[in-house]
Formats: sequence, C-alpha cells, structure tokens
Amino acid sequence: MMQFVVYRFRPGMDHPRYDRFRLDPVSGETVLSALFRIQETLDDSLAFRYSCRGAVCGTCAMLINRVPRLACRTQVAALLEGKAGLPLSHFAPAGMVEPWDPKKEVIVEPLPNLPVIKDLIVNMDRFFAYYREISPVFRPSDPAPVRERPMSPAAVRELDRYTTCILCAACFGACPVNGQDPAYLGPAALAKLWRFRIDPREDRGEERLASGDRPDGWWACRFHTNCRRVCPKDVTPDRAIGKARMELSKRKKEKEP
Amino acid sequence: MTPRSRYKRSLNNLLNCRAAKMLMHLIPPGAGTSPRLLYIPWCNTRLPMEEDSQAGRTPIHEYDVVIIGGGLTGLRASLQFSRAGIPCAVISKVHPLRSHSVAAQGGMNAALGNVPGPGGAEDSWERHAYDTVKGSDFLADQNAVVRMCQEAPKTVIELEHMGTVWSRLEDGKIAQRPFGGAGFPRTCYAADRTGHNVLHTLYEQVTGARIPVFEEFYVTSLVTDAGRCTGCTALEIMTGLVHGFAAKAVLMATGGFGRIFSRSTNALINTGDGQALAYRAGAPLEDMEFVQFHPTTLVGTSILISEAARGEGGHLLNNRGERFMARYAPQALDLAPRDVVARAIEQEIAAGRGFPGGYVHLDLRHLGADLINERLPGIRQIAMDFAGVDPVKEPIPIQPGQHYSMGGIAVGIDGQSGLPGLHAAGECACVSVHGANRLGGNSLLETVVFGRLAAEAIARDIPSFARPAAGPVASEVSRTEEKIAEILGRTGGKPLFPLIDELRETMYTKFGIFREERTMQEGLLAIRALADRMARVSLADRERAANIALVRYLGMDHMLTVAESVALGAIGRKESRGSHTRRDYPARDDERFMQHTIAAQKGAAMEISYTPVILGMFNPEERVY
Repeated sequence: MMQFVVYRFRPGMDHPRYDRFRLDPVSGETVLSALFRIQETLDDSLAFRYSCRGAVCGTCAMLINRVPRLACRTQVAALLEGKAGLPLSHFAPAGMVEPWDPKKEVIVEPLPNLPVIKDLIVNMDRFFAYYREISPVFRPSDPAPVRERPMSPAAVRELDRYTTCILCAACFGACPVNGQDPAYLGPAALAKLWRFRIDPREDRGEERLASGDRPDGWWACRFHTNCRRVCPKDVTPDRAIGKARMELSKRKKEKEP
Repeated sequence: MTPRSRYKRSLNNLLNCRAAKMLMHLIPPGAGTSPRLLYIPWCNTRLPMEEDSQAGRTPIHEYDVVIIGGGLTGLRASLQFSRAGIPCAVISKVHPLRSHSVAAQGGMNAALGNVPGPGGAEDSWERHAYDTVKGSDFLADQNAVVRMCQEAPKTVIELEHMGTVWSRLEDGKIAQRPFGGAGFPRTCYAADRTGHNVLHTLYEQVTGARIPVFEEFYVTSLVTDAGRCTGCTALEIMTGLVHGFAAKAVLMATGGFGRIFSRSTNALINTGDGQALAYRAGAPLEDMEFVQFHPTTLVGTSILISEAARGEGGHLLNNRGERFMARYAPQALDLAPRDVVARAIEQEIAAGRGFPGGYVHLDLRHLGADLINERLPGIRQIAMDFAGVDPVKEPIPIQPGQHYSMGGIAVGIDGQSGLPGLHAAGECACVSVHGANRLGGNSLLETVVFGRLAAEAIARDIPSFARPAAGPVASEVSRTEEKIAEILGRTGGKPLFPLIDELRETMYTKFGIFREERTMQEGLLAIRALADRMARVSLADRERAANIALVRYLGMDHMLTVAESVALGAIGRKESRGSHTRRDYPARDDERFMQHTIAAQKGAAMEISYTPVILGMFNPEERVY
C-alpha cells in the first residue's frame, strides 16, 4: 500500500486541506495515472489538468514531492524508491508545509507562484501574459522570398535548445525570483525571447535584446538555475539569460568613453 | 460581474501596460473575486447580444465565425479570417498549445524536391498524389488529393515564413526524409517534434493577431435555426457557466476520436466531440469505419514511436531476430504503409513470433547515438521515460495501437458539411484525402491546407450569410443548462468510469485491426447497451466549477455516438480495404464497395448509405508494396 497526499482547494475555502488516498501500487504507473485512479475509484471531484500523457503538451505540470514536474512523466515507483530527488536552490513554495513520509507517500500540490483555481489546477494567465509581453511573433527583416529562407543546420541546433520549450511553466513554479517578484517575466518567456534574438532569419537582434533589458527582464534572474533542473525538455533559460546579459554589458562598456 | 472584478478584468486586458501590471499585483490572488473573470479570454470579447438574451445573465457572444478546436487546423483557419478582417473566435476545451497536434512527430509531406529520389529523380505533386491515392487503397477522392498535393510545397514554405524551425540540409534548404508508402524522401520535419514546432509557430501568430481564444470551453451542442447552423453552446469548464455563441458560420476543427479505443496513441482529450456534435445537429459522417492502427506504439502506454524511426533506417524484428517485413512487403519492407505493417506485426504475434505480452522489437541500435540524438531525440526520450529503454542500447518494445481517424464529418474540398453553416477541416473531417488508409506525413499537411481552404471558402461566402438570430442560441443554452442540471441532479446511480473502460475495450477487441461479422455484432450490442446504461450514471461531484467528472461524462456521451458510427460502417462494409480488414471478407471488392460510407440520422436511428468515390488521374489497381 502507498498513499497519495493531495492538496485540495476550491473557491470558498479559507485554507486548502490535504486528503490522503490509499492505493495499491501498480508497476510502471505515473503520477498522472495514479491521479486518474483516485478520480475514477475514490473521489471523482478531484480536479487536475491532462492532455497528451506523453510529456509533449505541457498541461500537467504540478508540484510532486515538492518539485515542479510533469505528472505524466513522473514514475511513482521512482519517487517511493527515492530515485527522483532533485535538489532545488532557495525553493520554499508559500504555504506548502504539509509533512509527508517520502518512503510511503507521494505528495501532490499545485504549481507554485500561480493562483489556485481548484485542487491541482492553477490559473496560468500571468504566465501567458509574460509570454505575450515578449512579443513571440516571428518578424523577418526581408519580404518573404518564393522559397524557404536558408538556414544552417548549426543555427537550427542552437535554436532547438529553446524551441523545444513546451510552456508547461514548471520553471515558473520553480523559480525563487518568480516567487518573490510577481513582475518578473520568468525563465520560459525569456528563453522564448532569446529564441527570437538568435533566429538568423530576423535582423531585430538588438530590438529583441533591448525588450528584455529592464529590471524585471534579463536582470532579475539570480541564477538559481532551478529552471534548467526542472525542465522536462532540457531547455536552459539560465544560459540564454546569461548570454543576453553578457551582450548587454559588453555593449554598455563599449559605449563608455 | 462585481465592480471589483470588472476593474480587474479591464486590468487584465491592459496587461501590456506596466502600470496596470503593478496594480494587478496589489489584488491578492483569488481573494474575494469570482473565478469566472480569471478565464475571460485575454483579447477583447464582444458581447453585443447580451441584452437580447432570454436567459438573463447568460453570456451570448457573437462573431462572424466561430472555430471549434485550437489545433493546427483551427489556428491556421483563424489566421485566414484575421487577415480578411472577419471577426472570429477560437473555442477550445484545452489551451491551444495542449491540442493533440502538438504530439505529431514525423513530419509534413510536400514535393519540394530538396532531396533527390531514387536514381536522382525529382519529386512532383503528381507522384505525391499517386502515393496518396495508392496508400488510400483507392478510396480517396482524387480531386481533393490533387488539390492537397498541389498546395503542399507552398504550405510548408508558408510555415517557414511564419517562423517554423524546420530541420535543414547542409545547403540550408528544408530537410526531407523517407516515409512509409512514399516513393521519394518527401517528408519535411523538425527533428521528431514537427507538430510541436508548427503548433507553437501558429499559436505565436494567433497571439500576434490578437485573435480571441476561449480556452477551456467545452462545446456542448451546435445551434440550428431553420436548417442552418448558427452557433454553439459551450461549458466554461473552470466556472461551470454555459455560454452561447452566435455565428454566421461554424468551423469544426476538433481532431480525431482515438480515445474510444483502449489502445491509442491519441491524447486523452481526443473523444470525437466534433464528429458527435455535427452528427447530432444533422451533418452526416463519412467512412467512420476506417481507423488507422499505427504499427509502432510503445508497449504499456501506447505512446507513438514515429514512423520516422523506420524512415531513418530502423528495423522491425520478431522474437527470432528476423526482419519479418520481408514476408509481407518484399519491396518496401519496414516502410510499407501503416495498415500493411500493423497487420504484419499482429500476424507475427499470432504465429508465436512475438514476445510474451504481445509485442515485437523496433531496433535503432545500428543507427548510432549521433543520428538518434539529432533526428530522433524525442523518441529516445519517450522510450527512456515511459519504458525504461534506451534505444541507443536496446530495441524498443512496440505493438500496434489506434492512431488516426480517416473518416469524419462528410465535407467537400471547401469544408462545407451536409448542414448549411457548418464547415469542418482536419482530422474531424472527411474530405476524403486519406481514403481507407492515411500515409504518414499527410495529416499535418491536411490540417494546414484544409484549415486555410475552408476558411477561404467561408470568407468568400460570408457576405451572403445572414446575421444569426439570438433566440435559438439562448434557447439552446437553456436546454444545455437543463441537461447539465439533470446529470448533476442524479443520485445513487452507477459510477461513470467503468463504462468508459468497457467501451474502449469493446472497440479495441471487436473493431480492432482484424474484424468479423459475429464479433462486430456483439460489439454493436455492447455499445448500445452502454448508451442505455449512461442514463443511470450519477456523479458524486455536484459542483459546477471545474467539474472534471462532468466533462468526462459529456465526452463519453460523444464517444458513444462516434462508436456506433464506426460499428455500423464496419459491419456494412463487407470487404477488406486499407485499414478495414475483415477475416470473413478478405478481398477488396471494387464492384460493390468502391464507395464512401455515409452515416446519417434517420429519426432517432443511425442510417448507413453509400456514395461514389471521385476518381480521376489514377485507376484502381492491386496494391502491392
């Protein structure tokens, strides 16, 4: 027997509560399938988001054993065997203090740094507002040619480091800066901005770089690198932010007499 | 709406303004606010009919066009309307980026000719059309196939111009790889994340065009007025509020229905909503029995292992280590079309040459770590995450699973369905470009090509469409409210979820890769019995807001309609063609069945009839690979 400790909240409640569900272990089960088992056999009011169940759509990011992860990609057995530990820097999500026994229990809570709607469902509006704020729209410099704009495989490889982002917001939930400064654009939006900065088909590099040149943009990051650690797609927002800051600093030095 | 929430809503709309953003943070999250306002779409939403509504505070939205579904088809169509200055909105049961399009791996076919074919030959849209028609087992409508293949190169280029990062050749051109059933390396790709790359590109464009998206709105019915579709109703999932949408035209773009089968590669959200909604509103369905079973899905989870794995050189092996495809498709081997390969795997397993548990191996080891990491990184990650197998070191355990719906809402090339005002495109529609079996790389192509063509046709005709009346929308909202109240009001009934499992198991065992009369008749009875049992289901969760069990109940209701159409189509088609394989009728019968199946309402019953295939460039021939 194992136990799922699940955060429960709905509008009208003053405080969240935790429910404990006992389940027989099933070999190869993911946290998402365990949540379905709870919904289907124990409590059909449990609310959570789901879609692809294959770690490509980014719907089911949540806090699992106090680490933001995709529920569909996280194996229950690995959690109970203690194989899924992931140390994070300065990470203490507000209000998440319920104790649990990691040898017998899995604790599941909503993604931090975003308001909770119900149970494990958070409101993603702010996350996507920052995505829109960096203007994630391809704007090539020249008029469209008849055929494709040529690109080297090397340029594609560099872009792929960032285009693989699935916007699951695990990084947003893991980032201590996002926890303290609600105005911070966050790792995903900045990685997206960098993706356009380095696209060789655009020649708005300066403009792109400048649009993150503000206290709640490139400069808010404190390189805790939790974003990189929790990313299910190995995106490295901290790398993008570091490069942007180096470029900007270099520019500023050059301008000084 | 309270003054406070109205205030916050206007702030939400002004989020680009930094001052407003700072102000918003002064409001504690969730404190004393209605959750509804949190889900008002970020763009300006017009509510001109609100006063007319008879349902009091019921929100009724009006747009010239309402698009149901936010995947590749829906988003591409919305861009077309936006460019034409036609007010449109996208309604989606999930955030558009969570649509199943995002999971498409292998690529998009287009005769760009960037990579030379066998003997240095150059590809052409005619060759693409021939491969598609042959792949379809000659059931595709050839006028539609020709149009799609002609549009293909400019469609891939158009996406490149919107910013899609396609994989490239050394000379900088878009890379192309071989795919099943194709005579040329014709499939353009973005590693093995093609759907992800294209969907994100289109969503970025939709963001830039500020097209309103009603996220997490589950469409509950279509509105008809004097034989014309004039809108829909939708449950706002997070609040439980039912909205009405009035439109001059509705475009259905909801994708497939794979989740009626127990083993499916599809996202969990693919419950055939669009097909069921259209059918109930009076639009006939076409060729629903043609369900594609993908040869290579991961054992246990049925997650797709792309055909690209074989396109890049992967081999299928049985438990003796034999490349068994030589027995079934001596020329094409592992790259025969999906129906051929899926049957071959099932036959190997049935003959005792599979592994215990019913699977075979897909071996990529000889490709080497570098190629796997560059062109199949997603596949490697999936195999490691979900089966604990690293394809660089071990073969991947695979078995066939449901993958795609060739059938759908019967439409012409312009997306017009049998119900005026209702249009459809993408997987939920049947144009028919895939006939009895779809080729890999043609579905992504179909979504973008026909999303655009359907939108162009609607944009052309919209000046002649009347403004919809508010009354029928409001009464449909009331009917939906009553239906939901009735479902939530039931007590002491049976649980929902065992019924869903039973349906899926029934469909996979009775309407799977191999079919025959007796078992299909049993299956049909089981589907109808399940439909009766739904009336005695009750949910423990009675709340309106974020009631996920309610959404799953409504989805099951749709799935049952779709399942019946698959069953009746399959029972009626007494031949084997493409994906539809009958043990009792093993041969193709052009005499009687070179026809499309049509499922339409007749009173309360579903009636099957047939309509001729549109031939053209290519005469039916025996299909050998």
